[in-house]
Amino acid sequence: MKIKNQIWFPVLYIFILTLVLSSILILFGLFTRKRVEDNTRIALERSVLEVLPIDLADKIPTNQVHQLYTKLIRDPDASSGKAFRYIEADSLIAYILPVQGPGFWAAIKGVIGIAVDQKTVTGISFYEQNETPGLGGEIVSQTFRRQFVGKKLGAGKAPLEIRMPAEPIDENSVHAVTGATQTSMRLSKFLNEALLTWQRAVTEKGE
Amino acid sequence: MPGQKNIKNVVLDSLWRDNPIFRQILGICSALAVTNLVLNTMVMGTAVIFTTALSSLTVSLLRRWTPRVVRMMIETLIIAFYVILFDQTLKAYWPDMSRNLGPYVGLIITNCIIMGRAEAFANSNKPGLSFIDGLFSGLGYALVLIAVAMIRELFGMGALLGTPMPFFSSSLWDRWIIMVMPPGAFFTLAIIVWIFRSLRFSKSEQTKEAEK
Amino acid sequence: MTARTYGLQLLIILFASIFTENILLARFLGMCSFLSVSRQVKTAFGLGLAVVFVMTCTVALDWLAFQYVLKPFAILYMRYIIFIIIIAAFVQFIEMAIERYSPVLYQNLGIFLPLITVNCAILGASLFMVIREYDFGEGIVFGLGSGIGWMLAILAMAGIREKLNNAHIPKGLQGPGITLILAGLMALAFIGFTGVLAGK
Repeated sequence: MKIKNQIWFPVLYIFILTLVLSSILILFGLFTRKRVEDNTRIALERSVLEVLPIDLADKIPTNQVHQLYTKLIRDPDASSGKAFRYIEADSLIAYILPVQGPGFWAAIKGVIGIAVDQKTVTGISFYEQNETPGLGGEIVSQTFRRQFVGKKLGAGKAPLEIRMPAEPIDENSVHAVTGATQTSMRLSKFLNEALLTWQRAVTEKGE
Repeated sequence: MPGQKNIKNVVLDSLWRDNPIFRQILGICSALAVTNLVLNTMVMGTAVIFTTALSSLTVSLLRRWTPRVVRMMIETLIIAFYVILFDQTLKAYWPDMSRNLGPYVGLIITNCIIMGRAEAFANSNKPGLSFIDGLFSGLGYALVLIAVAMIRELFGMGALLGTPMPFFSSSLWDRWIIMVMPPGAFFTLAIIVWIFRSLRFSKSEQTKEAEK
Repeated sequence: MTARTYGLQLLIILFASIFTENILLARFLGMCSFLSVSRQVKTAFGLGLAVVFVMTCTVALDWLAFQYVLKPFAILYMRYIIFIIIIAAFVQFIEMAIERYSPVLYQNLGIFLPLITVNCAILGASLFMVIREYDFGEGIVFGLGSGIGWMLAILAMAGIREKLNNAHIPKGLQGPGITLILAGLMALAFIGFTGVLAGK
């Protein structure tokens, strides 16, 4: 009575194999879980470091990101309107405001740096996006991000406008990525909403 | 209903048992998405080699125990196991690459080639041989992908592995943007297929001549 | 979000998944059956319809699995296995149901169902749904649109290939070669659709 010829053997076989393989995978998953969570945290911290108005190395090694971050950045407090604070020698140099919202395909998450004058933008960086590569995905490129440095937040409904490539821009606006209308519109929407909320929050507490 | 069974067999036949080069092309298609950059393609290629070699090995080790009726399900399970291992490792240790490759590493599971090797070879051969067979099948597949990627990245972005190349990144070369987009991948692969098949046909004609 | 904005959002996803981000011509998924079944319009249509149906239903089922099993238990990496099992089980179930209740439908559609289980587009649609974290409505529309887009591509391909029967194609290009070139040309044409969404 060979076990292989029993009618229930195939079911048992699949069951056992699935059990064994799944267990190995789940164990491996637990093993890597901390690492994966750290990666998300480090991505955010790296973005924060990127928008600071200081000259840091182009690609900070992953194991140094957290060190540098804890050295330079302080958590938000009542006066910073939920923005992180870049402090040097006990004085506030810049705010780093996390922004996120729906992009064309999925959520876009990033940070925007604003100098202590609450007007000048020090930079913008995205640590999560799933837009169309080559189009909306270009928001992470230096070409797009470089525009933001030195711009000023205007008064009015849209402190930082993202305009179509054909239109002229001024100190309160930047050009959108060519061909990425949907991504740009959505980015503009949640970016400005976040900026307005932040402006309101800091002017209430400060001055 | 004999009529139906015929169509089913014929269609399935043409999917699995057609000539090797055609079968090769089938499995390549979904991986074309990452061939816009050579680096991404190399990682993808590694994933395929890893999965094909190890799943062929595993299928072969278990071949005396696996009941015929659930054979394909077991093969899928084993392939999925190795793919998930690779995907999860990538996610933990190279998150940027994992995000770049998106769902395409996971889609290796449905790749016709890996299943094809398991069915055609690993099921009826020793583990050592199956491992080698899987290894080289995966390698052949990866090499074709890398060839496509090299052409796409060079002509489309003027670089290879991210570093700008002498002539192609200069102002003398007008970058072929089409290479960066999906059509470029289709056309490049089509030309490679054309070259390979023409060589294959001329070779078989030469052998026919020699035999006369 | 108002109902109107949500409705517009769904419409955009539908349009984008059919045309501008066609799951086959822009995302390269589902090529195996695409290359081998696209010789006749009749068979292409049958397979296309089957894909639309299965894709929409499995994206919905996979969404449920994603929200109520994968996320709560934090076993996201198991999604590949779980989705494949759901797809295989669903297709098997549908095939049996169709065979029993409508032999006519089975003749025209049912025989394609086993092919669909290995179609990477079906699994791919669900994987994209997870990456983009769609809600249920968006997921269904995305599945439907991707399926329709796939069907459109395979129908166009079959139509062209039927016409090509009378053309002289170099030996090296026959079969997969010319099909890839056609796919490239179609992909090129579909890129033109991105302009439609730019207006919005």
